[in-house]
Amino acid sequence: MGAEQAWLLAAIPGGMFFVIAMIGRWLPRQADWLGILTIATTFALFFVVLVDFLGTGDGLGPITNSMSWTEIGGFQLDMGIFVDPITIVMLGVITAVALMVNIFSVGYMKGEPRYFWYFALLQGFAASMILLVMADNLLLVYVAWELVGVCSFLLIGFYWERRSAIEAAKKAFITTRVGDVGLLIGIILLWREAGTFNISEIIAFAQDGGYGSTYLFVASFAVFLGAIGKSAQVPFHVWLPDAMEGPTPVSALIHAATMVVAGVYLVARLLPVFEIPEGMMLIITIVGLVTALMTGVIAIAQTDIKKVLAYSTVGQLGFMFIALGAGYPDVAMLHLMTHAFFKALLFLGSGSVILATHHNQEMDKLGGMWRKMPITGTTFLIGSLALAGLPPLAGFWSKDEIWVVTEGAWGAWATILFGVAAVLTAFYTTRLFIRTFMGNPQDEHVYEHTHETGPVMWAPLVFLGVLAVVSGFVIFNEVGTALGFPGGFTEFIFLDEPHVYSIHWDFAAASLAAAVIGIFVGAWMYWGGRLDRATAFANWQPGLFDVARNKFYWDDLYQAGVDRGLLGFSYVVSWFDRYAVNDTGVDGSAQTTGYAGFILKHIQTGKVPNYAMGIAIGVIVLTIAGMAARG
Amino acid sequence: MELSLVLFLPAAAGVVALLLPAAQEQLARWVALAGSGAAFVLSLVLFFRFDNAAEGYQFTERHTWVSVGDFNLQYYIGVDGLSMPLVLLTTFLTVASVLVSFNITMRPRLYFASLLVLATSVIGVFVALDFLLFFLMWELELFPMFLLIAIWGSGRKEYAATKFVLYTIFGSALMLVSILVLAFDQGTFDIELLTQAEFQDTIIPLNLVFLLLMAGFAIKLPVVPFHTWLPDAHTNAPTAVSVMLAGVLLKMGGYGMIRMGVGILPEQAANWDIWIAGLGAFSVLYGAFITLRQTDVKRLVAYSSVSHMGLVLLGVAALGDTGLTGATYQMVAHGLITGLLFVLIGLMYDRTHTREISQLGGLARQMPLLATGLVFAGFGSLGLPAMAGFIAEITVFIGAFERFEWLTLLAILGVVLSAGYVLWMLQRVVFGPVRHEWDELTDQRAWWEHTTVAALAAVIVLFGVFPSILMDMINPAMEAVAARVVL
Repeated sequence: MGAEQAWLLAAIPGGMFFVIAMIGRWLPRQADWLGILTIATTFALFFVVLVDFLGTGDGLGPITNSMSWTEIGGFQLDMGIFVDPITIVMLGVITAVALMVNIFSVGYMKGEPRYFWYFALLQGFAASMILLVMADNLLLVYVAWELVGVCSFLLIGFYWERRSAIEAAKKAFITTRVGDVGLLIGIILLWREAGTFNISEIIAFAQDGGYGSTYLFVASFAVFLGAIGKSAQVPFHVWLPDAMEGPTPVSALIHAATMVVAGVYLVARLLPVFEIPEGMMLIITIVGLVTALMTGVIAIAQTDIKKVLAYSTVGQLGFMFIALGAGYPDVAMLHLMTHAFFKALLFLGSGSVILATHHNQEMDKLGGMWRKMPITGTTFLIGSLALAGLPPLAGFWSKDEIWVVTEGAWGAWATILFGVAAVLTAFYTTRLFIRTFMGNPQDEHVYEHTHETGPVMWAPLVFLGVLAVVSGFVIFNEVGTALGFPGGFTEFIFLDEPHVYSIHWDFAAASLAAAVIGIFVGAWMYWGGRLDRATAFANWQPGLFDVARNKFYWDDLYQAGVDRGLLGFSYVVSWFDRYAVNDTGVDGSAQTTGYAGFILKHIQTGKVPNYAMGIAIGVIVLTIAGMAARG
Repeated sequence: MELSLVLFLPAAAGVVALLLPAAQEQLARWVALAGSGAAFVLSLVLFFRFDNAAEGYQFTERHTWVSVGDFNLQYYIGVDGLSMPLVLLTTFLTVASVLVSFNITMRPRLYFASLLVLATSVIGVFVALDFLLFFLMWELELFPMFLLIAIWGSGRKEYAATKFVLYTIFGSALMLVSILVLAFDQGTFDIELLTQAEFQDTIIPLNLVFLLLMAGFAIKLPVVPFHTWLPDAHTNAPTAVSVMLAGVLLKMGGYGMIRMGVGILPEQAANWDIWIAGLGAFSVLYGAFITLRQTDVKRLVAYSSVSHMGLVLLGVAALGDTGLTGATYQMVAHGLITGLLFVLIGLMYDRTHTREISQLGGLARQMPLLATGLVFAGFGSLGLPAMAGFIAEITVFIGAFERFEWLTLLAILGVVLSAGYVLWMLQRVVFGPVRHEWDELTDQRAWWEHTTVAALAAVIVLFGVFPSILMDMINPAMEAVAARVVL
């Protein structure tokens, strides 16, 4: 098998989805082992693809394998794969995290109803996500894009008996679908001028100046709407925090490491197109910065550990968009990879805490967990420090690099804003860790019943913990080369625009300072489980605190928009349809006809004298008229 | 001969069912299953024998029926790439309708006879190549429909049945005028000849003829504002009739628009295309907005049909082969997906005896299979890829976008609204807190329930994953239609 057969990576879990969904219920252990086996196979095949890809040696050009799906007169739909360095990175991240999540789930989901269905959905998701990053044409991307959306819907709503879970699932699907409309329109616009859905051909067409400038701006902006819908950027970010209603391993896989980065992936893939129209890169940067800053503030005011991590994820995705806006897909992909590992680690770690405390995820009732759960606590600390951006952990390298390229592209204002976001990140991460794992227990009852989770759960934490430490090192060309990437990781990602990494001591120092400031302030405020300083701060600026705690009122705004705007308008239309169109128009005309018949029937009395009288009058009238006419 | 068998086998079985002795009336369902099943198998054979490369009509049969002066009323039938999929859809959904009616105990002989005569008349509409035969079949369909809704329906069933019949007849009257005008001009009712004809001096202007013709089809499709019979008919009809109504009867309108409207009067179609496209986009959004407010599951699906049929209209208005192919694909896809929705809602109604969304909820606990089916069909309805509806929608959008950019963009917005009403319905019906008043109810259990749901679901996926099966058949026929349109 070579890279041409990489479609097997999607086909195998795709097939297993059906197998487990249909007969998993009756298999031993409801087929959880089959799920792990499937993903493990996929993970192993990833290395086969990787080795084959690196071994081709012809400058790492993309490997394609395509066939016609259907032809409709003038246009053709293809089904094909496209394996290039970006795909390789995505495949590695997806299969590695999916494997860890599948293993972790055996412990976390033990005893849950519909256990087999959960594992079936994990396979279905993996298949769709792998298809998404391998698809060689935009329509197939859209297909996979929607399929991951459905898997996400079904997994967020896995506990569908809870109204909040199914509401969150619906919100996630519909919010992203608003963006998807943009994506579909963008795809159709790109297709119409280029005459193809093929990504490479569209890029080539755009670079040859095939699209008009305004036209391309509209098209790429429409695609961008789809990207920020899926990747939960402002103003579409509202669905992701709610999506935490799903089982926690799902949050780790779908809502941190893989599906939510689909938007980043798509923009990275199409970046040569986005670079052409004027202003597009600035829009990407601004969206990323606004998202990163706003969610940093919101995360500070949240007390649900998964909500903190969710807002953190949104913010980190914002960082990736900032890197894209600066024109560096390789940097975005680097942060995508390191973030996938440390954020999956953090989510799985929070899942470990939640399970150990019998479904408690409120910081107000946690505290001191490190003593009870040493492995979870230690790995969570590693993940937190990576997120905060402390060297030499993975997050430091990628975040630092984003900062460097942001400065290069936009100058001082973006640099400063990014720095603020970095400090905020370090601060809320510290708060999260201290309030959950350190200090005195807030709730003795919860604390007493807590114990470390089993190896099926902490082993994935350790694996991801190691990656959270080392995965950033690929940035060094020596490491990348040693791993087999010709020219190192950075050249590997984008051959046509090699971007040489060198250590910028000034940025490294600033980056370290940002992390340390955030961590220090966080520690000063919350150390030892104290809350008085935080309370004092909240009382000092109550308005600001309310804004943060209420998530800048985005949800309220949208809810009002849907309730009053959309549903109100629908009410008017329905009323019009019922009373104006149907009752007045349709039934009204029927009643008019009936009423006319009711009146006219009086002419038909059935009495001979009446008719005779009518005849007589008729004869007289006609005679007079005839004589008058004759003159 | 084979096509005639497909056409008349259902009706023949219906007559047999009607003639069964009263003591044996429970046999009627088996007779109906045999008749509809045979017609389905035979049409499947024809489907595979159909030559996609050949031009014109296939499996044709022509006999002179009545001859008056210059006029011949012919029995002339045949299929092309447009009608073959619709015939197969009809025979398939007829079997499904018979199966979901297996628990009918009230006057089963008349019931199944009506259902089967209905099937024959709809097949007749799709295969007729003589305009009078077409009209005959078009009208024949009303009689069994009236009985089915008025006798086996629920709620305001007499009102709904009468409204349905009167509305359709109103449209047929307009249609008949244009049929006669066209036929008198050319001296023939032969659709094949009329399609190639150059009309000289018709009694009334051809633009008006086109509009009268389209009015009849627009009522059937239905197009806003002629749609209000649909929710009433659906809500009050028994399950099988809803399946037939949404699945194939609406498609008579879309079929007529393509075969007669665009096929016979392409020039006039081009004159009115922007208006048709406008109505199409309007129907998509108008139907979707109203769907958002529905509280009765059947009514909700009925209004979603209005929205989905707007896409057919949009595809037709594009007048290119892509748009027309998309419109046809949408007819098949909608027939299957909405057919499945009505089957499942019917099976749930058999158990809960309510269609009020506010009274349902959490049914995934008591009826996991039916719930899974409803979620599946719901996602089909909102155009999920890997299901037939997605292929149809994308083809319509692409076909229409080339001609009507803004109207197509508006119609695409309907995609969000459809996600809204489908998920809202699923949330309230299938998911949410478990209601213990339904604890006694059983899940999908009988073999005929399993068969119907599984078969429909499988075909929806089949046409979503392997669109070429249908595309390669539909597209050449649509290229032939589009070739005569001069824009």
